[in-house]
This record gives sequence, C-alpha cells and structure tokens, in this order.
Amino acid sequence: MTSNASRSLLLRVASLAVGVTALFGGTAFAQAPQNGGTLTAIVQPEPVTLTSAINTAAPTGFISGNVFDGLVDYDLNLNPKPALAERWEVAPDGLSITFFLRRGVTWHDGHPFTSADVKWTLENVWKTIHPRNQATFGRVTQVETPDDHTVVLRLSEPSLAILSSVNSNGAQVLPKHLYAGTDILNNPHNLKPVGTGAFVFKEWSKGNHVILERNPNYWDKGKPHLDRIVFKVIPDAAARAAALEKGDVQYAVFSPVPLKDAERLAKLPNLKIETRGYEWLSPWLFFDLNVDNPYLKDVRVRRAIAHAIDRKAISNIVWYGFAKPAISPVPTTLGAFHDATVPQYEFDTKKAEALLDEAGYKRGPDGVRFALTHDFIPYGDDYKRTGEYLKQALKRVGIEVTIRSQDTAAFTKRVYGDRDFDISSAWFAAFSDPQVGVTRAYWSGWVGKNTPWTNGSGYRNPEVDALIAQAQGQARQEDRIATFKKIQQIVQTDLPSIPLAELKFFSVHAANLKDVVTHGDQIYGSLKDAWFDKTASN
Amino acid sequence: MNRRRVRFWAGRVAHMALVVLGIAVVNFFLLHLAPGDAAQVLAGEAGSATPEYMAALRRQFGLDQPLPVQFVQYLANLLTFNLGFSFRHGLPVLELIGQRLPATLLLMVASIGFAVLAGSALGVVAARNAGRLLDTAISTLALLFYATPVFWIGLVLVVVFSVGLDWLPVGGMTSVEAGYTGVAYAKDVARHLVLPAATLGLFYLAIYTRLMRAAMLEVTTQDFIRTAVAKGLKPRRIALRHVLRNALLPVVTMLGVQVGSILGGAVLVETIFAWPGLGRLAFEALFQRDLNLLLGILLCSSAVVVIVNLAVDLLYTVLDPRIELAR
Amino acid sequence: MSLAEPLAAAATAQRPARRGLSARLLRKPSAVAGLVLLSAILAMAALADVVYPLDPLDMVGTPFLWPGADPDFPLGTDMMGRDIASGVFHGARVSLLIGAVATLMSLVIGVGVGAVAGFFRGRADHLLMHVTELFQTIPPFLFAIVIVAILQPTMTTVVVAIGLTSWPSLARLVRAEVLRLRDGEMVQASIVLGLSDARIILTHVLPNVMAPIVVSASIMVASAILTESSLAFLGLGDPNIVSWGSMVGAGREVLRTDWYVATVPGLAIVAAVLALNLLGDGLNDALDPRQNRR
Repeated sequence: MTSNASRSLLLRVASLAVGVTALFGGTAFAQAPQNGGTLTAIVQPEPVTLTSAINTAAPTGFISGNVFDGLVDYDLNLNPKPALAERWEVAPDGLSITFFLRRGVTWHDGHPFTSADVKWTLENVWKTIHPRNQATFGRVTQVETPDDHTVVLRLSEPSLAILSSVNSNGAQVLPKHLYAGTDILNNPHNLKPVGTGAFVFKEWSKGNHVILERNPNYWDKGKPHLDRIVFKVIPDAAARAAALEKGDVQYAVFSPVPLKDAERLAKLPNLKIETRGYEWLSPWLFFDLNVDNPYLKDVRVRRAIAHAIDRKAISNIVWYGFAKPAISPVPTTLGAFHDATVPQYEFDTKKAEALLDEAGYKRGPDGVRFALTHDFIPYGDDYKRTGEYLKQALKRVGIEVTIRSQDTAAFTKRVYGDRDFDISSAWFAAFSDPQVGVTRAYWSGWVGKNTPWTNGSGYRNPEVDALIAQAQGQARQEDRIATFKKIQQIVQTDLPSIPLAELKFFSVHAANLKDVVTHGDQIYGSLKDAWFDKTASN
Repeated sequence: MNRRRVRFWAGRVAHMALVVLGIAVVNFFLLHLAPGDAAQVLAGEAGSATPEYMAALRRQFGLDQPLPVQFVQYLANLLTFNLGFSFRHGLPVLELIGQRLPATLLLMVASIGFAVLAGSALGVVAARNAGRLLDTAISTLALLFYATPVFWIGLVLVVVFSVGLDWLPVGGMTSVEAGYTGVAYAKDVARHLVLPAATLGLFYLAIYTRLMRAAMLEVTTQDFIRTAVAKGLKPRRIALRHVLRNALLPVVTMLGVQVGSILGGAVLVETIFAWPGLGRLAFEALFQRDLNLLLGILLCSSAVVVIVNLAVDLLYTVLDPRIELAR
Repeated sequence: MSLAEPLAAAATAQRPARRGLSARLLRKPSAVAGLVLLSAILAMAALADVVYPLDPLDMVGTPFLWPGADPDFPLGTDMMGRDIASGVFHGARVSLLIGAVATLMSLVIGVGVGAVAGFFRGRADHLLMHVTELFQTIPPFLFAIVIVAILQPTMTTVVVAIGLTSWPSLARLVRAEVLRLRDGEMVQASIVLGLSDARIILTHVLPNVMAPIVVSASIMVASAILTESSLAFLGLGDPNIVSWGSMVGAGREVLRTDWYVATVPGLAIVAAVLALNLLGDGLNDALDPRQNRR
C-alpha cells in the first residue's frame, strides 16, 4: 500500500468527523496511561458465540477481539501492524507469504502459542467453515511450519487480499490443543474462549453480560491498562442512550443510539462521539434492483430510478448526516481502489421521467407508470426511513412503490434465495480490499444461492466475472487497482445496484476513557490501549 | 368427596398434558411456516457466508431433515421431558429457560402483585367515594396509565427516575461491576426491579382499579347485600365479609387471564429495561428462528398458565361456594 | 368525569321500565364526554381526505418543524418532513379501523365460546375451554408477534393477529359470568319452564352479561389500538400506511430531542382510549339490566 494513498486516506477519514468531532481530542498525547478500573461496554445484540473464527458477526468480533490477537492489527490508515506475527514477507512472485511469529506468547491456559496453531486453524477452520475466508485463503495450497515460529503459505496464484484480512476478526487463530479432533462448531470453548489476547474470558451470563479480566501474562508488556471489561446487553436504543448518559456504561459501538440522539449526546460534557475505528469495515448502503424484473431489466429504468433519488437527502435527512453520498460501490475510504470517474447519476427528476418515457413506460391516467415493491433490510428505523424515502421519490416520477417489512430470516431468503423482490436495500462492508467485500455483490456465481449479502440484483456479466477472477490473481497492487476501476466503470454503467451512501457508524464513549480508538479495525480489535483518566473531572 | 377430588385432579393432569401436547403440535407447524431458518439468520448476522458454511450449519442444527422427521424427533424428545437443544446458544433449551425463568417470574410476581394490591385498594377507595371528586381523580389517573402505551411509560420513567433524579438504575437486573452477594445482592436486584415492575404493573393497575370498583358497586346492589344491611350488619363488616369476597371473583378471573398476557407484556418491558427474562428471549428466538428454544418457552409458559388457572378454579370454590369444581 | 354510580341509582325512586338507551346514556356527563371525544375522532377519520387530501406519507416540509413554528403545519413535521397533523387525521381512520375490526372478530369468537361453554358446561365446556386454553396459554402478545412475523407485517395481518389473540379473556369472563347466572333463580326457573336453550341464552343469559361484554368491548378496541402501537414499537407495523401506533413507533427514537413527534400521536391514542372507556362505562350503566328490573 503506497504511503500516498494512506495519507489521502487519513485526510478523508478526518473529514468524516460529524461536526461533533472527538478526533484528536485534547490531552491524550501529554498524559501517561493510568492502570486500573472496570470498563462497562454495551454489546448489542447479544453474540451467538465468542469465537470470530466460526462467526464473523459484529457483536462476536467486538468481544472476541479482546480475547484473541490477530496475526496483525490495522492502524488507522489500514496498514498492517505486528501482533502475533512480528513481521511477514511476500515472495517477489507473490506465490508465498511467510509469517514470523512472536516468541513467548502463551494461550490463556498456559499452553505455548506456535506455528502449529496457525497451520491447524488455516486448514481446518479458515479454509473450510469460516464464513468469509474460503475465498480469501482459497489459493493457499500448502502450509509449511519449518519451526515453531514460522508459517509459510504456498499459493497457487498471488493473493494480496490475504494481508488485508489477517487481524483477529478476519483470521482468528484458535488453540489447536483445545480444538483438534473435536466438532469445531460445537466445541464448548466457542462459548468460553481461550485466546492469547489482552483480556481473559471470565463468565457469560446469557441475556445479561460477558465479563473479561486483565491478562497478567500478556506479551505486550504494560498492557492492558483496564482491570476488567463488562459487556452488557441492552436491547433498547433509548435505554442505551440513557445508560451512556448516566455513566452506567462508558463505551458502545456500531451506532448504538438513535442518530438524532447522537447529536444530543455529543453535546454532553461527559461523552464523546467517535467515528474512527470503522475504517477496516468501510460500509456502504445501496439499493439492489432485481434485474429479472420485467421493468428493472431495462437499464434505462434503472438509470431513471438513480436519477430520481436525491442521495444528498438520504445522507442529510434520512441518515441525519451520519452518511455521505456514494458514487461507487467501492467507498472512498478504500483510497486508491476507489474510482471517482465512474458515470454519475445526479438528482434530476426530469431526466428520470424522460428515461422512463423513452423506455416506453408512459404515465397512465392516474399518473402511475408501473408499480414495484421495496424490501428494506430489517436492521432498524434508519433503513425503514430509507425505504420510505424511496417510496416518495419514485412516486414523484410515476412509479408506485409498496414497502414490505419482514425479519432478517425472511428478508435474506426472499432476496438471496427466492429472489422474490423488486428493489431491496442493504449495507455491505467493503473491507479494506474490494476483493473481500465488494465483488460479492456483482459476481454472478452468487445469484440465487440463498447466501446472504451477496449478489442480490441477479446481475450476470461475464466480463465482470472475468475481471473479478483476474484481480484475485494479480501480483502487483497497481494492476489490481486498475482492474477494480474497470469493474466499477462497468457496474456503474449497467447499474444493477445503486450505491446510495457511505455510512458513518459511530461509537459513544465516556470522555475520561482514553485511547479507546487506536486502530482502523478497532471495533473488532482489542481495548488493550484504553485507560481511564482518573484525574478528569467526571 | 375424596373420590371426587381424586377424579378432579386426575382429569386436570390429563387435561394439562393434552393442552401442552396441543400447544406443541400447533406451534411446531405454525413456527415452521416462518420463512427462512436459523442458518440463514446466523449467516445474515455474520455478514457473509458460503453455501458450504450454511450447509454445515443446517446439518449441525438438524435442519437438513424433512419436517415430519423433525417433528417425530421433537415429540420423542418431549415425551422424555427433553425440550431439545438450542444450537444458536449452544445449550439445552431446558437449561436456557432455567437461566431466564427466575427473572421473568420475579418480574411477573412483582408487577402483578403491585397491580392487584394497589389497583384493588384504589378501586375500593374509588367505589366508596363513588361519584365524588376522589373517585373521578382515581378513575382518571388509572385510565391515563392504562391508555398510555407501556413502552412510553417505561421510557419516561427511565428518563425521570434514572437519568434525571438518579435514584434507580437504567436497566439490567444486577450491578455486575459491584459484585454484590447475599443481602446486598437482593437489595441490588430489588432496586433494578422497581422500574420494570412499576412499568408493567401500571398498565394492569388500571384494569384492577376498574374491575374492583365496578365489582364493588355491582355487588353492593345485589340482593344478599341488601338483606345483610336489612339484617342490621355494620357497613364495615359488609364490606369485608361479603362485598370484598365476592368482588374478588372477577379479579381472580383476571389474574388467571393475565398470566399469559403479562408474559407478552414482558417482551416490551424486558426490552426497555434490559431485563434478562423469558419474554425477551422468546422474542429474540423468533427472529433468530431458534425454533426449539421458542417452542420450549411457549410450552413452558403454557404450563405456567395451566397451573395458575387451576389455582384460579380452586380459588373460585373458596370465594363463592355456589360454584362447584368443574366435573 | 364521574363514572357509573348504580348505588345512587338504587336509592332513587322507581322509573319507567324502559327508556331509550340514548336518553339514559346522555344523562351521564362522563359518557357524554366520551361520546363527544369519540365523535371528534370519528369526524377526523371521516374528514381526513377532505382536510388533508395529500398522502400523509408525503414529505412536504422541512424536517423537525416544531408545532406552531409554521402555520402550514400546526402540529409540526416529523424527521422526514411529513405533516404530523395530516398523519393524525389519516391515522385516526387506520387505528380505529384496526381496533374495530379486531374487536369484532374477538367478540364473535369470545362471546360465542364463553356463552356456550358456561351454559352447557360438561363436555362442551371442556372442549371449548381446551381450545380457549390453547389460545390463552400462548402469551397473547407474543402470539400476535409470532403471527405478524410469520405472515409479514401488513394491516390485515396485524388485525388478524390482534383479533385471534384477544378473545380468550373475554370468553373466560363471559363463561364465568354465565356459570354464575346459570345457578341463579332466573335461569333455573326458565329451565323448569322448559324454554329452549337458545332462547334462555339469548333472553336470560346474554342480556345479563351484556354489561361486562360491553365494558370488555370498549377495553378491547382501546387495547387493540395499544397493541398495534406496541407492535409498531417492536418494528412490526405496516410501513405503507400511517397509524397512530406507527407514528409513535417512528417518533420514539427522537423522543429525547423532538418529543412532540411521538407525543402528538401518542396523545391521540390516549384520547381515543379514554373516549372508548368513558363511553363503555356509560353504556355499562345504561345497559345495566337491574335498572330495568326496577
């Protein structure tokens, strides 16, 4: 990754601040961290398991990142930093990657951490049952462990995306001595995790809380600073706001309170709003247009819909400013991968109406051209309001929209299984490499496979498929960037899905909780740097 | 008499078993009408999944079996008092319910106790002052509590008593951080219980106030009361011995009815107050398609309702000798 | 707002056996208040299309206009710039309809089951109470959630869910009353006289349980409106129509900052529930058969 790209990325990240900024706040530089204290955080919803290796859901990652270390961490510019791996080398031909592991690291039960753990996890978890990594590690043909502290991945083709996905969430290493030979998905340690991380799992009271305690033998000497972390389950957003406001809870992530409430909380002296820590995720919001629909199969209709939508209004009104208009499925946070020259569809209802007329769908006597349904992703009111906006926006150009509401299981089955929908909404994490998070939305192999969060529109373009395959095997980052830009040009011309906004998730934390965000993957990372400033007034 | 009682109980137990079995059958097929399955939800939450991963999950959950096979397995389990396994939580359903049931029972007893006691007291006071200002004030207040959506009351109570006055905790059941034990723990739980119980209780309070007041007024006009007055009994004795005892009939009926209803209300209250009970668990299980767990909770709650209604029927005979035990 | 007062009525002198129901209703100030309030709400529902011809879902103004800030939007606008006054008018129609249809459904099932079970006792009672218990043992609100979630949230499924889940309590109440009445002199005498069962139920039993049924019905319409709002709170509302419940549900997330968004429709709910209850109380008194007897 070029340093230029990184710097411009940093600037962009800085510009994300919401006007209520907590960025680079105050005195953190001057003060030395103080030890001690219990941090109470909110985890919502309650995780299913505490092992990210078998479940990549956000709440799992939020807790699991404290119990497990990654091979690397990502800094705020998404550059890999040493963690369990002290350094790594990519062979010039790109056909092997070598990780040199840290010495003297032990699992929480005292067993030494070795290259055998990495090899076993890669072969038995990442390549087989990990929800996302089968694509990432698909080109690994062999794993060699010349000694206890060296791991060599042999690849059939270069695979640069691997290095952007080896933190504790992307590729969590499990203790071989507790997992080998067991039913991995049902292993009891999934609920009582044993890791190498800064905090040791203590207890999980279902529906209540998860407690982690300081790891006194942590390899990163002097860390962590906190004695304990209690993760509480608080299902209601208003109650979360109240708990934070009152100081009962000092940390919560993933936009834990209603967006409008965030503005209010930001003005309180004892709280801070933080939008950093989500860079690794790079979420974007979009509408999938079902290209098998008789109306939507016409690209003119798809473009008309894009013209009928005011993406600024979606960001500023529907999302209260916690979003910025997107022009491409590759978010700007991905730096060099983002292509700013893709075809743009500015808000212009006249153009939209002209395109619809041209497609042969004139307004009827009641002003309606045709009717569509909209299924919004059932992740809360923000997405519902986005759907309500769509209904109103399309009504203006003569398309009648009926909104359908359902729960997650019904939604994913409808969109990704039955394909019984017209327009759906969703947000995807692009991750720091489009190969990991973006291509799944366009690759034709996913169509109708009943696999959530893949190609919902039903878009099938052999040229795009070929480019996706090509990017996966390219050894030079410049070549991959060029390929991904080509892909963006094509999909933004064909427009099977309309990128709407780059979402700005935010965290809320107590003002006296310092260094809570030190990484670009912080929400899935460790709180080993966090500390309470006991001299602060609150 | 004794034989009657034995027959009554035998009938009741058979009846309970039938109801529970009926619930199991109805719910099993009803719930399996729900679109999507647990594997889909898990994959959805994970943000990504491959078909192989989903297939592995389905195999693990037993979802790859045909529905009739699943049903027979479920019934077979049920006959051995095994409610199955929640794959999502990685625990037996019975254990999960056991973890959450006490919290819900506590909330139920506290809120319904509050509603019955406070509501009945208010109802009696209102009836005695029928037509006067106090009656109007009580009836209006009770109605307002009833008419205001439960979640609204809950949120307002949190804002006023937790955030504003800082008297009570915002939510949860214990202060985990403090690590209380013994009496301090009980006190801590009690403090956490006040707002949720009040929120849920306030809704039912209005019902008991209305019911008690109306029943009081109605019973007072009945012949035997007038006879009692004519016989020269003191009004106070009348109120206690006759009126109250007979007026309790509809209240007790309501109690039986509301055991089920309050568990539903618990979904809302447990959501707002992060109370770790069964209502919330059931709600989540539904959306996570954790059908074994949801079935288990529904069965468990049906058992509770059946038992309470049995108690209500027995209470009838105590309260009003004119009613005999059914059968 | 004084409610029923049969005690006072008992003390008053004889009165004509049957006066018009409406005449008796209109003598109670509380019933009149309820009637006026309900009429106002009904008028809002009827006139919604005249006063606010636009779709209440239309985004017509600046978001978050406080009530009174702009004369065009007397009750303000919500987070999407929709006219709250328009929503309250159109919502009246939807909420009342949901309440009324769901209650009608429950009344038919509940009164039927309760009367038959209580009157015939024995096998019929057993069977019907089995069915009632089946429905009742599943927590009604939870059952409603399950039904709505499985069938997808639309106005119809919400109505069906509420109607299907709110009758058992009525059935039990009716049954309990009927059980009590059945042993009374009136019914026993009728049985001795050889009147047909149907006739006894219709002429001697049901009229005597009318009061609790009417009170229950008024509570049930109100509680259906409340249930709809609770479903909306949990995200199980029909997004294509505006009901008071859906407005409160949408407004709750700005409760701490722009409380009027949820409060205005919330007050409408409170007003409707109050009106229905006051009216129910008035009807309770007016229908009280004992007053006819005297």
